[in-house]
Amino acid sequence: MSQDTENFESLQRLLTLKRHEQPPPGYFDSFSRDVILRIKAGDRGEDAYGYFWQLPWLQRIWSALEARPVIAGGFGLAACSLLVLGVVNADTDRMDVQPVAAAPQAVATIQVANNFASDQPLLARPAAMEISESSPIATVAKDGQPSIFDLVPRPQAQTISLNLSPAGSP
Amino acid sequence: MIMAEPVSHKAAKPPEPAPGDNPPPLPEESDLVKRARRGDLAAYDDLVKRYQERIYATVYHMTSNHEDANDLAQEAFIKAFHALKSFKGGSSFYTWVYRIAVNKTINFLKQRKNKTQMSLDDLDFNVEHDPDLVALISDKTPRREVGLTELQEKLNAALQRLSEPHRLVVTLHDVQGLSHEEIAKIMDCNIGTVRSRLFYARQQLQAYLSDYLK
Repeated sequence: MSQDTENFESLQRLLTLKRHEQPPPGYFDSFSRDVILRIKAGDRGEDAYGYFWQLPWLQRIWSALEARPVIAGGFGLAACSLLVLGVVNADTDRMDVQPVAAAPQAVATIQVANNFASDQPLLARPAAMEISESSPIATVAKDGQPSIFDLVPRPQAQTISLNLSPAGSP
Repeated sequence: MIMAEPVSHKAAKPPEPAPGDNPPPLPEESDLVKRARRGDLAAYDDLVKRYQERIYATVYHMTSNHEDANDLAQEAFIKAFHALKSFKGGSSFYTWVYRIAVNKTINFLKQRKNKTQMSLDDLDFNVEHDPDLVALISDKTPRREVGLTELQEKLNAALQRLSEPHRLVVTLHDVQGLSHEEIAKIMDCNIGTVRSRLFYARQQLQAYLSDYLK
């Protein structure tokens, strides 16, 4: 014990060297002026990494992780497990939803025929459109309410006689 | 015994006036704080001047880097100015600013991990006449061949190997001469923790510097 004390005394003597470390001459002459100038310039003296890092609970967690690699490893493993679990769950949900969306009773078929097209042989085949129940168009159509598309005047087919024979010929 | 208070409090004492001088009485700290809280920058300038050396020294001994210490010490005072409204006066302004500077420095050091680069201040002219160092160097050990600058580098390197709380305790107690009670207030822990940290830190330092302490 006495040897320890003696060694600590030597150490304390050595540490007095630190008291002789001095900043460049005149350094403190401008120190307070610089502080005041920075305050006047709107400096808040905040850390570059902001308040988040200064949260005490976050610092405690960080210290615990830093001090014990086992805890850090466990934390990493838990985070990875959660991630994998999340991904697997997300895939399962998607597979559950797909059959419902594809159910035949959920789809309403609307035949959209154009008056203009009905007169034209090439366009005689009516356009068919499948719209799911979730579509607003389908909902309107099923309710029998007029769609905003009904407000648009539809083109009317007219028969026009054209004479394409050259001029002067009978 | 081991935890004895330091004999010397050189670093914590303000310079004494020369005999015969009658300097004007210093305004009370509480008055300066009240004025600074109202936005009086002249009053805050006085407060900064009063504690700048101690705050700078603490941060410097923690970082072993002059530029970092300069930035951190200034930022601590700036932050303290903006936080003055939240200062309840439960502790002295000095303890409060110390705590801000220490927290700021520890946060900085955690960010800077593994990027330690020392930028040491020069030793002053009195170092060769310091009785503690004279006694240490004039002993019959290998230290005799070691120059003070090299010793300074070894000492700083050893301090940087300590964890931040241990380095802080050694800095505040063995270098700056603060009492265990003051350190406990600054570090927001109990005195027993301060004592145990100091003991452990000294043991660590002793191991790191064994070649120079034989």
